[in-house]
Amino acid sequence: MAKSLSFGQYYQAKSFVHSMDPRVKLLLLIAYLVTVFVVSNFFGFALIGAFLVLAIIFSRVPVFTVLKSMKGILFLIIFTVILNVFFYSGEYDRVFIEWGSVRVTDSSLIFAAFMALRLSMLVLGSSILTLTTTPVELTDGIESLLYPLKLIKFPVHELALIMSIALRFIPTLSDETQRIINAQKARGGDFESGGLIARAKAMIPILIPLLVSSFRRAEELGDAMDARCYSGSKGRTRYKRLKLGYRDGVGFVVFAIVLAGVIYLNGAFVALV
Amino acid sequence: MRIICKDLTYSYDPKKKPAVYALNKVSLTINEGEFFGIIGQTGSGKSTLIQHLNALLPVQEGFLSVGEFDLSLKDKKKYKKQLKELRSKVGMVFQYPEYQLFAESVFDDVAFGLKNFFPNLNANEVAQRVANALNAVGLNYYEVKDKSPFDLSGGQKRRVAIAGVLVTDPEVLVLDEPVAGLDPAGKKELMALLHSLENGRRTIIIVSHDMDEVLENCSRIAVMQQGELVKIGTPEEVFNSNQSYAGLNLPVTVQVNNLLKERGINLNCNFKTEQFICDLERFFKKTTNN
Repeated sequence: MAKSLSFGQYYQAKSFVHSMDPRVKLLLLIAYLVTVFVVSNFFGFALIGAFLVLAIIFSRVPVFTVLKSMKGILFLIIFTVILNVFFYSGEYDRVFIEWGSVRVTDSSLIFAAFMALRLSMLVLGSSILTLTTTPVELTDGIESLLYPLKLIKFPVHELALIMSIALRFIPTLSDETQRIINAQKARGGDFESGGLIARAKAMIPILIPLLVSSFRRAEELGDAMDARCYSGSKGRTRYKRLKLGYRDGVGFVVFAIVLAGVIYLNGAFVALV
Repeated sequence: MRIICKDLTYSYDPKKKPAVYALNKVSLTINEGEFFGIIGQTGSGKSTLIQHLNALLPVQEGFLSVGEFDLSLKDKKKYKKQLKELRSKVGMVFQYPEYQLFAESVFDDVAFGLKNFFPNLNANEVAQRVANALNAVGLNYYEVKDKSPFDLSGGQKRRVAIAGVLVTDPEVLVLDEPVAGLDPAGKKELMALLHSLENGRRTIIIVSHDMDEVLENCSRIAVMQQGELVKIGTPEEVFNSNQSYAGLNLPVTVQVNNLLKERGINLNCNFKTEQFICDLERFFKKTTNN
């Protein structure tokens, strides 16, 4: 039970990064992701990599836990690297292997390395955010960041509410799913053998009860919210208010330095070439 | 089928140190034809224990056999081969079983398990067995068979769900909190229904956290606490030892008896409500006659 209740990747700790404002973390992540794609040389990668390492150190999340997030996309990385090594078709100075239209050149190797670095930094950076920010903080942050959209009558609060309800119900529904699977298994339901169609059909005894119970829960939740006079965002106050602190300033400044460095290095190398 | 369980140990997170056991060296034997109660607080391991009985959870450590099925077999192929037959003979009714109904008609839902376990039955045989199962749970086959299970009342839904398990004529019937969420009359009716399913051969196991319920209904009781079996025996043995069980209320009759004892009145009686009242009556008659 306890296992399924802790949802997502959040790693509980008290750290510099944990106590930063989720809005700032979100903005920094977006800027970081853009930078990772802008970087055009290894020195730039070293600089942005240093920022990443710094973030990991100050998040107090064990390095191994952070690296675990790579597991899901390892295959993708290997796949892109292989494709790029053999099929990159830009200009090149030296050819290492040539075999028909497939050739491994110096620039294909460099490009493949860049791709691998970019993808892994993308994932590592994003997982720092999800590891140090609870889902609730995240939705709060997103709601706050999207606030300007209210001017064009975009239902920001409702969207954030939907997000947090969805997050909240993931463990509940996964428990429920397990229960239903067990119940149908006990009645001889077989969900593991047979072809694709047979398996899809076998899912019906799971999906229908799950759907029914989701509707039931939704109705109950709606009633509970009505009973507590929930009336949308109007006049609603917050228990946890987002506040900027000195840490957020430090985060911005450090990242600004890194960004400036990356831009300088990009320019310097373009000039050299 | 006789259920034998020796030092059964289970942990949901075996890698965790120190290990947290949902079941810790549980040993018990449940005989054929018993009406057996397993009682314990939430998280005491009772649901974990019963999920072992039809192999929804694999045996991690210890020994477990249900009739001729050895569930602690290490040989994966042999183990898997027996699962289907085992599950057709050990029926499992989960908590709030009405939430697992899915088919378009009551008939299809009840027939689901039957068709899974015995795909070779012809239509007549299926209809016959579905009718038997529905009648056994006190529903009129012709009235309900074509209805959508979602149109039935809560109590009827639960009966349909139980019929869906009964339809394979299981030799062991395990029910997790069968009367949870029912009103007192519904509880009584369902319990009577369960007793009507006894046929001398069929083992019925109910899981509960209500002491009164197991006391009234079960021939033997096992008390679980934090994954361990703390007491097993007849209701008299379990409640007569002046023992209290953390987190569980003693049955009302036992509480009354204990209060009387404190005041020096020793009834030495049976705890089932009917008999307890008879004993009380006899005692008062005796004292007023004196």
